Amino acid sequence: MTARTVALLPLPIGAVCLYVIIRMVFSAHTLTGHTLPVRTEVLQGVLVGFGLSFVTSQILARIKSTRVNGWTTIFGCGVPGNGMFMQAACAQMFPGPVNVPQEALYWTAHVDGRGRALSGGHDYVMHFPTGGLPPNDAFWSLTMGTARNRFVANPIHRYSVSDRSGLVPNADGSVDIYIQNTAPAGHESNWLPAPEGAFILWLRVYVPGAEMLSGRYKVPPVVEMR
Amino acid sequence: MANPAYDRLLVFSPVMVATWLAFIYAWPRLILTVYRRAILGRGLGEGPVPLNTLYLPPQEFFADPLSLPASAPAVATTGVNRDTLYTLGWLDLRGGPQMLHVPDMAGRYYSVQLTDPRNNTNFAYVGKRATGTAAGDYLISGPGWKGAVPAGMARISAPTHSVLIIGRVLVESDGDLPTAHALAKRIQLLPWKQAREAPPTRNGAGS
Repeated sequence: MTARTVALLPLPIGAVCLYVIIRMVFSAHTLTGHTLPVRTEVLQGVLVGFGLSFVTSQILARIKSTRVNGWTTIFGCGVPGNGMFMQAACAQMFPGPVNVPQEALYWTAHVDGRGRALSGGHDYVMHFPTGGLPPNDAFWSLTMGTARNRFVANPIHRYSVSDRSGLVPNADGSVDIYIQNTAPAGHESNWLPAPEGAFILWLRVYVPGAEMLSGRYKVPPVVEMR
Repeated sequence: MANPAYDRLLVFSPVMVATWLAFIYAWPRLILTVYRRAILGRGLGEGPVPLNTLYLPPQEFFADPLSLPASAPAVATTGVNRDTLYTLGWLDLRGGPQMLHVPDMAGRYYSVQLTDPRNNTNFAYVGKRATGTAAGDYLISGPGWKGAVPAGMARISAPTHSVLIIGRVLVESDGDLPTAHALAKRIQLLPWKQAREAPPTRNGAGS
């Protein structure tokens, strides 16, 4: 048993204890009288078990995920033999068929580098230092989605920026991506249009390089501009 | 004297624990069942996708992602992706193997992912990373299939008769979309018997 498995044990034990306590209180007056039919016990077991499985999957997704600067992903989805707990975690985070990490990694962010929800009410910059674009052997992209994960209508019909979108590097070779609702004057080529309200970001890295697969590469934070 | 509360717990606890574990186990599998029903039932915007065929949405869907038809199910519209075209299908290998044909991608990134829907893991890939970008033919066979694989054709043994297949082809730019779409359309499936009669040298036959 790994430390993580042990960490999950209090859940069923706690549930059983909670149930005993509740039943002790509520059944005090029925202890000498009639007993509930077995059917009720089964139904309650199913309902509590279902609720617990939902909570457990959420917890598993948190345990199995990797978080860097407000970005989240899971290493190990889609890999044969990854086990039912990894599969449950992946199903929470990526509800659908998902690539193995060697083929593609999807990072997602709902918050900026300081943990605050992303919103078009603020202007953000994502700064990739010189030589610090996502390491890959295929391509990378940064895609905008609404809170409901839909494309964001915008005047320049740009829904993502990527290694193919003509990003203009700074003089020192670093790259700034401007994530905001209105066009950044002088930096239009590096503008990723945001909606007025809440949004999420997807950083896709196809055939990620060894630096990224090993976790040595840190995805830079989305930083709110002052 | 037995306490009725403990008797109840004897029923409640095993049921609770069994349900708890069963749903953790089943959830990832149920999700792919939704995909299966969406692909084979409603389709991805242009009607149901038959078994053992690949469906590639028209390039207009990619060119203007805000214009997706209302009839397209959530499966086709969730996920904001501006990088690759998708071609999707569901294999049923009980009737024999399927042949997957991929055209020469001339160095372009593409991948064909073969997913075991029982646990949402990928047992094989064809594509730039896994097999390179030259044209090729792959025999996808179900469990227990015994037969000769012709020279020059690689065999992919599926662990199950039911397989989800997803192809992705990189779009370099707006101007590259027609080229990428034409290449994606040439990723095709053919039943093995039919493939034997018509050698795998066809280019872009059918749709």
